[in-house]
Amino acid sequence: MTDIDEDPAAEPRLVDPKLLEALVCPVSRGPLSYDRAAQELVSERAKLAYPIRDGIPIMLSDEARQLD
Amino acid sequence: MRVPPKNTVDALGPFDRALWRKRRDRTAARFADADFLLVETVERTIERLEDIKRSFPSAAVIGAGNGAMATALQGRFGIETLLQLDASSVMAQMAAKAVPDAVTLVADEEALPLADASLDLIVAPLTLHWTNDLPGSLIQMRRALKPDGLLMAALFAGSTLQELRTHLTHAEVETTGGLSPRIAPMADLRDLGGLLQRAGLALPVADREIIPVRYANPFRLLTDLRAMGESNVMRDRHKAPLRRDTIARMLELYAGSVDATGNVTATFEVAFLHGWAPASTQQQPLRPGSAKMRLADALGTDEKPAGEKAG
Repeated sequence: MTDIDEDPAAEPRLVDPKLLEALVCPVSRGPLSYDRAAQELVSERAKLAYPIRDGIPIMLSDEARQLD
Repeated sequence: MRVPPKNTVDALGPFDRALWRKRRDRTAARFADADFLLVETVERTIERLEDIKRSFPSAAVIGAGNGAMATALQGRFGIETLLQLDASSVMAQMAAKAVPDAVTLVADEEALPLADASLDLIVAPLTLHWTNDLPGSLIQMRRALKPDGLLMAALFAGSTLQELRTHLTHAEVETTGGLSPRIAPMADLRDLGGLLQRAGLALPVADREIIPVRYANPFRLLTDLRAMGESNVMRDRHKAPLRRDTIARMLELYAGSVDATGNVTATFEVAFLHGWAPASTQQQPLRPGSAKMRLADALGTDEKPAGEKAG
């Protein structure tokens, strides 16, 4: 993916804790936390980090990064 | 905690979901060329919502497509927070551009990242017919709804592409002497109604719109189906690839079915499914024996004691 389309305006909405509360990890159904530096939504319970690309979280288990 | 094996359902179901996603990615750029059925579905969904007298502060669109549904929903029906989800990341990017105020996510209809009881409205236009586990998807959506939240799903069903199915069957038998799964089996409206109930949705309603589409050339139908991301992703599709002469014969047979206006018809049947997450405030059936009025009075007839023969 290029970063030409990167839209920083889409970011602050994600950080909105109320919004984050409405989302869960699709694998464990556990809570998610927002890692701003890595641009990931992290599921501690499933040990998966879902990438955010161009301001869009990719909530697919086969696109997620496995955490140790 | 044990992580369930990936794509368990996927490996068993009739559809190759990864391929479906890839097709949706690839077709996103030309989706607008053939989005008329989505446009139609959006219009009819909005009409139905206009008849419902309540507001839906938090809403989600599952199957965002090009953002047509979210565009029609935003700022209406009391919606304050609007999410749109699509399984294709390219499609999701397109939807995000179309509706910058919505929160856009890439997510699988069969593994929704939505928290329990978090939404007042879920609208799912025209992707659920490709799920391997439709009951599972409906249950996930019901769980994501707050009590008295509304699910409105639309999916291809019943007689969809019946003409194509018939002509292709004849053409394939004629040219190859056999048959392969070419067009996905369509759910029956009655079965879909039952699924709503099984998913735990209250006051379920399943109805349909038959949308006949006329084509001067049946080849254009195939182009449109591809642009819609509706080409065959059945797991068994590669066992016997569709032969060129079979397609040619199918087009010939299809072209032979022109009506008085010189066009052929492609039927699309869109099933509209509505149901509410159960809530104590909803109308409930009365308990047996709690009647306040005699049935005989309501019918304006005489009540006869049981065991006595009528008339």
